[in-house]
Formats: sequence, structure tokens, C-alpha cells
Amino acid sequence: MKVFYIDTSSSYLYAGIAVDKFLVASIKKNFGKDLSKYTISEIAKLFQEASLEPEDIDKIIVVSGPGSFTGIRIGMTFAKIFAWSLKKDITTITSLDAMALVDSDKLVVPIIDARRGFVYASIHEKDKIILKNQYIKLDSLIAYLDNLKKEYLFVTNQDNFDLPSIKYDPDILKIINTYQDKPSINPHLVEPTYLKLTEAEENLRNIHHDN
Amino acid sequence: MKDIYILGIESSCDETSFSIVKNGIEEISTVISSQIAIHKQYGGVVPEIASRAHIKNITFVIEECLDKAGITLNEITAIAVAYGPGLIGSLLVGVECAKTLAFLYHKPLIPVHHIAGHIYANNLVKRLEFPLIALVISGGHTELIYMDKDYSFRKLGSTLDDAVGECYDKVGRVIGVEYPGGPVIDKLAQIGKPNYKLPLPLNDDSYNFSFSGLKSAVINLAHNEYQKGRELNKEDLAKSFQDVVIETLTKKTMHAIKDYKVKNLILAGGVAANTGIRNAFQELCEKENISYTFPSIKYATDNAAMIASCGYYAYLDGRIADLTLNPESSLELK
Repeated sequence: MKVFYIDTSSSYLYAGIAVDKFLVASIKKNFGKDLSKYTISEIAKLFQEASLEPEDIDKIIVVSGPGSFTGIRIGMTFAKIFAWSLKKDITTITSLDAMALVDSDKLVVPIIDARRGFVYASIHEKDKIILKNQYIKLDSLIAYLDNLKKEYLFVTNQDNFDLPSIKYDPDILKIINTYQDKPSINPHLVEPTYLKLTEAEENLRNIHHDN
Repeated sequence: MKDIYILGIESSCDETSFSIVKNGIEEISTVISSQIAIHKQYGGVVPEIASRAHIKNITFVIEECLDKAGITLNEITAIAVAYGPGLIGSLLVGVECAKTLAFLYHKPLIPVHHIAGHIYANNLVKRLEFPLIALVISGGHTELIYMDKDYSFRKLGSTLDDAVGECYDKVGRVIGVEYPGGPVIDKLAQIGKPNYKLPLPLNDDSYNFSFSGLKSAVINLAHNEYQKGRELNKEDLAKSFQDVVIETLTKKTMHAIKDYKVKNLILAGGVAANTGIRNAFQELCEKENISYTFPSIKYATDNAAMIASCGYYAYLDGRIADLTLNPESSLELK
């Protein structure tokens, strides 16, 4: 089985191609503000490196977010069009699910900055989900964690993260092997996971709520 | 010569559109998914909401376009995409889609300037004749362009502040009509009388426009009427406002036509659907013996047919991009 993986939910491009559970090509690179410029040309190189054509792929795994709104849409547009046009199986996983794949005896807490004191995060204990993916105030998350009275470990790809953490460095093969059998969805219905309404929607909702 | 089929992609604001055009002039199929109903409740286009809607709609729209045409992606000659100017997040979805298709199907990728596209909406009505002057009027642009051949643009002048369509929307808000205000003001103007006095903006010899002063004048006038306890006559204000818009647009455009000794005029952009403006230019052109073309009403606003038509001439001109093509929110027309 040939699987293509892509995650553009941050400023990094994480992508790989696995053939029968063996990683034949991959990239992990921070493109900063140029992610939209380079993602597809880098993917083209990835296929060259693997000596494969997009046509050869059996399944696409795309990270749907949460994270950078623009970033998410780069990988999602690619994956959606790829799956729809060449009639490929496609499934989505969240960025937090991918980040949670860390071997640790502690609670694993993938965390992504969502600005203004908020984060996207979840809490995992081995294979168990203690707190599902959510948009939450960092203070509230820490209070929640302290209440659990267990040691915990943040996973982040943010530089200068103040709390004890490990830097996210995805094991792409492990992600593919974990999720390649996840049921496929209709490419038309593949949608980003924003976990947050836009500001305009929030305001409108508040107005309706006040009335 | 072998027929050339261009797949056009347009997503620069709040319309997701795909189209297939044969040899630059023959429209095979076009699908436009408009988000206007979504943005109406916010009184204008919300960029993040527009981006989200684009990615949600994109495969539905392209599938419908191909199905209607009975053409497969393999049969397409090249892929043309509007890569700017526009809302960066919206443009991004169209550009990433175009790059993906170019990569998957080994097709040439043609970057098209959104305004160039608007000009070529006229090419689907009647083959462009050169040299010509194009007056581009929309929610984001007010420009006078000179063209002496295909895909060659020289900007003669543009607005120094607000675009004309933007001014319509703001005046619409003053009058109290729903977004987008343009079409409503156009209708009201048809029954109103020019009873309000408004200043003619930037009444000089340049090819530039200015609409912020006119907008302020309307706001002040509405405010004064309110303070005096007089009810604003919407129809009359619409008529007075539209008359001034028409006067400034026609004056500057005819000035350029005479200076550049041009015999062809085209209108382009969403505001080119305005009946009052069309009628005024038609009357003037007939009087001055100038040949004119207006875009069809359905392709005056954003659509991919114009991008595909324009893309054909860019393709013939060898304007091919590689997979690092990036959307650009502001982009000069060259």
C-alpha cells in the first residue's frame, strides 16, 4: 500500500510517502511565510525522489488542523484536489493527533499557540484521550492539568515555549502506520478543523445571543 | 491549428469559479459559486469566511464545470489562475488548486492578473480590437488602461483613494440599502431626480479618479438633512450621486480616448453592470463614433470564464509559471 502524508498546519511542511510501511521519501522543513510558495514544488520533488507518480498512491492522509488557518488550507487544497481528481482514498487526522504520537509515561499534551492567551490542545495518557482537541485558554489548560495531579509533557513546534516541553519532530512513518487504515471520506466533504469560529462569526453570534 | 482548451480558476474575493474556454473566445462551461448570501449578514466580505467557503466549495464547483463541458482534465491544454490582486487567503485556494492540477496532470500553469481577466470578459462578447481604452470599474478598482495588442497593458490612471464600487457600497449604507449597494442605487437612480447638489471630484486633466470626497459629501448631506429634520429622498440622492459618478467616469475616459486617438472602448468590472453607466457610455460612443463593448451582465462580476479567455492569450505569449507561483494581494497590471 502506497500512502502519501501531508501536514501544513504550521509554518512547517511535513510530508512523506510510505510504500508497504516503509518510508521512501519525506520532508520536514520550516518555510516560514513562504509555505504556500514552496509546498507543491517540494511535493513534486518528493515524488521524484520516491520514483513514483501521484497516480500510484493508494491513500492520502492529510492533517486538517487546527493551527495556522492559511497553512491548513495549503495542504488541504492539495489533498482534496489530489483525492478528488485521481479518485484516491483520503482520510484526515488533526495536527494534535499527529503530535500526540509520543512515547512517554507522562501525560502527553500537544499544544499549538492560538494567540491572545489561547491554545489548541488535547491531553493523552498512552492510548487514552483525557481531554479531546479544543480551543482553550492556556491558564485553564494548566489548571486542568494540575488538577489531574500527574506529570505531564507538552509537545509543541513553537520556539521559545516557556513550559517544560519537547519540540515536535514528527515520526512520519509512525503517523502513517497508525492512521493508514482510518476509514476514507468523500473528498468533497474533506474540511479543515479550525476549532474556532472567525471573529466576525463570533461577533454575530454574540449579537444574536444578547438579543 | 489544434484547439486550445484553457481551464480558468477565479477565487480572488467571494466567488469560487471554474470555466473552460476554447481558443480564447468560445465558452464551453462556467460555474460560479457566489458567497454573497453569507457575507450579506456582515455588511461586506469577511476575508477569513471567504477563504473558508472557497476550500469547502472548490471540488464541487470544478466537478460541475467539467461535467457540464463533458471534458476531462487530461483534455485541458493549460490551467490559468487569477493570482492577484485580491484577498490573499481567497487567492491562495485558487492558486494552490491550479498548482496541484498542473502538477498532477503535467499541464502548463498560467498566472493571470485579475484585472486583465475583467478586461477579457469583453473578449467573450466580441473579439477585442486594438488599440483600445479599457475603463475598469469594480469594488476594488477604478482604472483606465490602454492596450495596443493582446495581453499588453498600460495603466493611464487610477483612483487615488476609494474604488468606485466601494463608494457605491458606502453610499448604499448611508441610504440604508443592503450590501452590495451598487445594484440598488442603480435601480433607485432610474426613478429619482438629480435634486441634490454634489461636487464633481478631481475635475482636472489627469486620468486619475477620486471618490472619497464624493462619499464624504453624501454622508454630510445625509447628516445635514437629518439635523434639519428633513427626510432623505433615497431615489433623488441615488440619482444625484450616480450622475456625478457618470460625469467623472465619462469625462476622464473620453479624454483618454481623444488623447490616445483610440476608436475602441471597453468597460470592465462589476460596476460595468450598472445600467446608468452603460447607457451613458453607449450614448457618448455613438455620438463620437467610437466602437464599444460591454461585458455581459453575468460576466461583469468575478468569474473564471474571463480568466480562461485571458489565459489563452497569456499562454500564446509564453507566460508560463512554475510550481512556486504565489498569490499576491496587490499586483500591478503589466
